[in-house]
Amino acid sequence: MYGHQGKILHVNLKTGKIWNEDLHEEWRKLYVGSRGINAKLLWDYCKDSDITWDDPRNIIIYGPGALTGTTAPASGRTSVTTVGCTTGLYLKSNTGGHWGAELRFAGYDNMVVHDEADEPSYIYIEDDHVEIKDAKDLWGKDIIETDTMLKKLYGNESKGLYIGPAGEKLVRGSSIHCSLYHAAGRGGAAAVMGKKNLKAISVKGSKPIRVKDPKKFGEVAEEMRELLRADSGAQGLHEFGTAGSIAAVNELHAFPGKNWQTGYTDNVHPISGQALNEKGYLKRRVACFGCTIGCHRYSVIEKGPNAGIASGGPEYETFGALGNGPGIIDTEGVLRLNELCNRIGLDTITAGTVVQWAIESYQRGVLTKEDTDGLDLDWGKIEETYKAVEKMALRDGKLGNLLADGLKIATKKVGQDSYKWAIINAKGLEQSNVETRSAKSYALAFAVNPRGNDHLMTETFAEFGASPEAIDVIEKVTGDKKWASPHYTDYRAEIVRWHEDCYEITEALGFCVFTSTAAYGVNPDNMARLYEAATGITMTEDELMFSGRRVVTLEKAFNVTRGATREHDNLPWRLMNEGAKSGPLKGAMNSQDELDGMLDRYYTLHDWDLKSSWPTRQTYEKLGMKDVADYLETNGGLP
Amino acid sequence: MTNVLLVDMEKCTSCKQCTLACSLIKEELFDPHRGRIKILKKEDIALGVQLLCEQCDAHPCIDACPSGALSRDEITGVISVNLDTCTESGSCVEACPYHGIILHPVTNKPLICDLCGGDPYCAKHCVSGALVWTSGDDELVKTKKKLRSARMAMYRDVKKGVAK
Repeated sequence: MYGHQGKILHVNLKTGKIWNEDLHEEWRKLYVGSRGINAKLLWDYCKDSDITWDDPRNIIIYGPGALTGTTAPASGRTSVTTVGCTTGLYLKSNTGGHWGAELRFAGYDNMVVHDEADEPSYIYIEDDHVEIKDAKDLWGKDIIETDTMLKKLYGNESKGLYIGPAGEKLVRGSSIHCSLYHAAGRGGAAAVMGKKNLKAISVKGSKPIRVKDPKKFGEVAEEMRELLRADSGAQGLHEFGTAGSIAAVNELHAFPGKNWQTGYTDNVHPISGQALNEKGYLKRRVACFGCTIGCHRYSVIEKGPNAGIASGGPEYETFGALGNGPGIIDTEGVLRLNELCNRIGLDTITAGTVVQWAIESYQRGVLTKEDTDGLDLDWGKIEETYKAVEKMALRDGKLGNLLADGLKIATKKVGQDSYKWAIINAKGLEQSNVETRSAKSYALAFAVNPRGNDHLMTETFAEFGASPEAIDVIEKVTGDKKWASPHYTDYRAEIVRWHEDCYEITEALGFCVFTSTAAYGVNPDNMARLYEAATGITMTEDELMFSGRRVVTLEKAFNVTRGATREHDNLPWRLMNEGAKSGPLKGAMNSQDELDGMLDRYYTLHDWDLKSSWPTRQTYEKLGMKDVADYLETNGGLP
Repeated sequence: MTNVLLVDMEKCTSCKQCTLACSLIKEELFDPHRGRIKILKKEDIALGVQLLCEQCDAHPCIDACPSGALSRDEITGVISVNLDTCTESGSCVEACPYHGIILHPVTNKPLICDLCGGDPYCAKHCVSGALVWTSGDDELVKTKKKLRSARMAMYRDVKKGVAK
């Protein structure tokens, strides 16, 4: 087979059964790869709403892209899909690193793990040899220790996907680490692995990937590579990392601080990508497999009391959630917190958002010193924040147990008005550090995101019109360049819809979404041409985008089975009820009225029912998913 | 003036585009085990060290070959393998001071960089600037050797387990 390797690997941890399933030919056109095929598999195995995240029948699926392992620039990413523990809904989390490419070289396009092991286990894959191994020596070990032990057994060339102590302890903000410093962090897929007693998947492969037309493939990949090379956004990402944009975001008064009570911070410089470079913390610029951008960092503290702290990152989101958020405007403070999360296996976004809520709750007297195990929480306190994060990751003490379950559960336990400063929406995922009050496409995209409110199911950066390429995208989608401005509510539904489809196919092929929705070098047109060169499957740009639409709708359908409705498509209380503190859009908020206007347009564009937000039978059938409509009809899931 | 390939470890992001590009142009497929240029990757310190034939002056691989299958172009320094006489002994792999030769996983014949006949395909793929194909004077040749020494020192540190 060309492009795809043609096999899906299944492992049942309970029975020990291991089998291969041939990749269905029609799926290559309908779902393409990675996120798309993962979504189809999750639907097929877990659509029954009795299957909760911790039910043994829940599966976890790992899917590198259909082009992962090739010279398609920045195509090395992997989607991880399961029933999420934070929201109880559909969860796709996506990671960079080198593990996904290695899985493809071992001969597999996707991998499905079923059921639960009785004892701590890990899976070792070397091409056709797949084995479930005893992980009792690994259990309790952190990410770095786990990697060292498995590399000792399987060599430096082996690639690992691990959970840390946080995942083992079913912490809802735990993250899956992928070839060490990359993570499928959002939504707690690591806790699903923890529940399954699955510590690690180590893989080594030696099977080449063949493409249908190597010459054509090389040409289209080159076209993408050169567009990205020339793109100022991509250049900035390489030079300063994702955190290079912090000063600019701060200037827009859109850099959330103190649990989203501020948008602007004086002297934000210490928590920026530029500071990492200037102060000598940046040791190396790092890339995921096959990535020509190389936005990842490896940062080291070489001297002083914190000497020896070394890890991947910090990213924009980490400087936000664990820096500006808790008021830690201190490079080494964030480097330490980042290292802790990477070592222990915790999502820095969730960790930061949860701890900020705890600090504010303590300030308001809703949490007492007894609740915090004696920690005197406040903004800007590095040691207290460090201890709170550590407690959360290890479920240590009263505070650790409260925070470990995330804000959806913690706000219910604590009660009072604590939901008002919990930065989660009705689905329950802690929000990433994007100021949605002054960026309305983001607001809408966050609200409708099936896994909760963040920027990693759809990115709508183009609405800022920060580059000519971004403005072109807005013109293409809306018909007029003037809509490239984030404070408009008009045409936001159109912008979100286009980006949903584009984002989906970007991930299905394994590309990093920075290539198509933040920087611009990969687009639906050249993706379709590259997919054809790889597989021999002819798809137009529109057909490829249509496959994205199919997957987005299937993901929505999954949430319909769990009873998610229009009410779940909202934003955190604070952002819907409190105005932005300062800046050009001072006072701006995501009011219910404003959101309703955009949602009506969004559902209308999608042919989804306005009242329930659910897709109609006709919508499913147009996308070739009559079986989905039939299932939903018998289970009360059609409007 | 001849061109030289500058190989800078400090700029390498370990993305492996070069290795993949090499396997594509030489073998029409993607396989990190079939690249004439390889990346020794050390994930815990996010390090990548490029390894490839350096067209070196000493070229001990030629003498090490028991069947005399290797020859050298005196102008470019490129080493060629006579596939008919090569006995797949792997002696060249052992002899290479720069760890630049591996054996093809299927044919077992040595894979040695030939600079794509004077237009290295890998360099076009290296956006971070770790591989630069540029016209050189003696100064540039010195730079190339300096970069190589740094890579080899790091290689030794990796093998000793003291790299950082």
